[in-house]
Amino acid sequence: MTAILEERPAEAERGTLRYQLLTSLLAPIVFLTLISAVVTYYYAFNFATLAYDYSLFDSALDISRQTRLRDGRVQVDLPSAALDMLESDTHDNVFYMVNDAKGEFVAGHRGLPLPTEETLPGKPVYYDGTYRGFPIRLAALATKVRDPAEAGVLVLVGETLNKRRTLANEVLLGMLLPEFLLITLIGVLVWFGIERGLRPLATLQSEIGSRSHRDLSPLSEQNAPGEVRALIRAMNELLARLSFALSAQQRFIADAAHQLRTPLAGIKTQAELALRQQKIDDVQHTLTQLNTATSQTTHLINQLLSLARAEPDAGRAQAMQKLDLDELARETTKEWVPQALTREIDLGFDGVAGAVIEADALFLREMLGNLLDNAILYAQAGCRVTVRVAVDAACVRLSVEDNGPGIPPDERERVFERFHRVLGSGAEGCGLGLAIVREIAEGHGAEVKLTAGANGAGTLVTVTFPRAA
Amino acid sequence: MRILIVEDDPVLADGLTRSLRQSEFAVDCARDGEEADLILTAQNYDLVILDLGLPKLDGFDVLKRLRRRAAAVPVLVLTARDALSDRVKGLDLGADDYLTKPFDLPELEARVRALIRRGQSGGSSFLTHGPLVLDTSGRRATLHGAPLELSARELGVLEVLLLRSGRVVSKEQLAEQLYGWDEEVGPNAIEVYVHRLRKKIEAAGVAIRTIRGLGYLLEKNT
Repeated sequence: MTAILEERPAEAERGTLRYQLLTSLLAPIVFLTLISAVVTYYYAFNFATLAYDYSLFDSALDISRQTRLRDGRVQVDLPSAALDMLESDTHDNVFYMVNDAKGEFVAGHRGLPLPTEETLPGKPVYYDGTYRGFPIRLAALATKVRDPAEAGVLVLVGETLNKRRTLANEVLLGMLLPEFLLITLIGVLVWFGIERGLRPLATLQSEIGSRSHRDLSPLSEQNAPGEVRALIRAMNELLARLSFALSAQQRFIADAAHQLRTPLAGIKTQAELALRQQKIDDVQHTLTQLNTATSQTTHLINQLLSLARAEPDAGRAQAMQKLDLDELARETTKEWVPQALTREIDLGFDGVAGAVIEADALFLREMLGNLLDNAILYAQAGCRVTVRVAVDAACVRLSVEDNGPGIPPDERERVFERFHRVLGSGAEGCGLGLAIVREIAEGHGAEVKLTAGANGAGTLVTVTFPRAA
Repeated sequence: MRILIVEDDPVLADGLTRSLRQSEFAVDCARDGEEADLILTAQNYDLVILDLGLPKLDGFDVLKRLRRRAAAVPVLVLTARDALSDRVKGLDLGADDYLTKPFDLPELEARVRALIRRGQSGGSSFLTHGPLVLDTSGRRATLHGAPLELSARELGVLEVLLLRSGRVVSKEQLAEQLYGWDEEVGPNAIEVYVHRLRKKIEAAGVAIRTIRGLGYLLEKNT
């Protein structure tokens, strides 16, 4: 199976694993190779120098054996064959110079550079110098004239550096060539190794790419190497969450459609009835019903939307901030007073300072609004409803208490279910208020409890928030 | 009084038009943003009721263009969008009021009347509540036509309660309105003024109600 990864522009190529692995492997190798080349050349040249230095000493020794002392002057008898040999080096130019003990020129090439070091008799001194513009290597030998062996003489032999350089280069090449071959081989092996190693990703890519957007089933972990397995597992978790959110949404849509059918049927029926009616009083009555039904449907739709938004998978990010619950509750309660008064309900507030929590103001107002709506709806004329904010060491409590008819104990948990309405109460609510309250509370890490009010009468709903620092 | 309704839904437009005509307004209707923009350049109105979700030209754009022409006509925005950001955007762009659909017809009508009043006189200086009339510029009050003796502070309290008639006013809000920054306000001062005020107006049926833990409220007459 060929790699499915498509052609990429040069820039994207640089971002690939393949490129990164190759460069991170090869770059140091090449760098090290270069360093070793430099070092090798240095050593090779030194060894070459040592090897050829010895032959310089040999030549100097030969020349020193041809020296004589005649008439108080040093003389060199070099047979022409020997001279020829000296000067017939095909690689380098060879120079020699003989000075007497006083430093006076005797024979050879004038002007050869003298050694900087002190020359001990019989011991050669090797050094570098320049002659006629060429860099040369020299050996200097201080010794006695051969015959008679009393006068001192200094023999210098020097040659250009070609042989040495050639040897050093040959050593270097011999070392570098296999190294470059090795690097190339590594490069090729890594390339194919990566190709093979990344194949599971290509498989994964084609599997995901060929799925329909509706298919949220988990991906198979089989045959995937360890690292890819972790990736697959993470993807599967994401798919599970998406699947959950999707089904929650589908459930909601189904619920909404279901719940809306009945009130809409009521509206349609009333409207059709009104069309048939003749007497103005009857029409008036029908239209009143129609108006009520429409208001209720509106309320239902608004509550459905609130619930959808309050659900954790809804996608609306909560804008959490530190806020004073006392202030927010006070303002919200004030807004509800006129409505409470029209139903002859005494709505009051009892707060406390320092009730700071982390919350989303919009959602909190929604939540308190639903609690107040419930309390006002189910309490009767003349009842009292009180909103309270209390604080203790660890939490902040928001509660709404009424002294109305209350909720029977066996229904107290069920009232939080969607679309549940307490039997015998007015048919005005749509049964979503407490479901919304619970969703919002949970989204804030708060707990909701419903109990009887003071003296066992009425209803008390308490929302307990963790206190913010 | 001329009102322009800009609404693309025919049923809603028909309902609004007929109800406002019943209140003796002259009503014109535009079905899309472009038509509205055209009409507004040619005609003057006392109020525009503007829906946001319009075909051809968005409600916000109609509003922007209207304000760019320096038209001061009051605009009431009607919309199905209830997000806070839309509300703020509408008001920032120059709308005077905002109502979400569906709405109660009496509420719409009340807001229409309030906006037209505002547009007319820039705010009346007389506040009326049943038999009670308060002249805010003259700093005088009458009850059933007879002058009402009120101290400056009592008048101040009455004024705030009248402006926010039917809604809760906290003691702090009252204190804010009555006192300068450097004045010391005793905790019971407001209570005393309200008590005195009550004695003077209760008999005439104007009730100031105490709301537990929140403040006071001037009850609306039925």
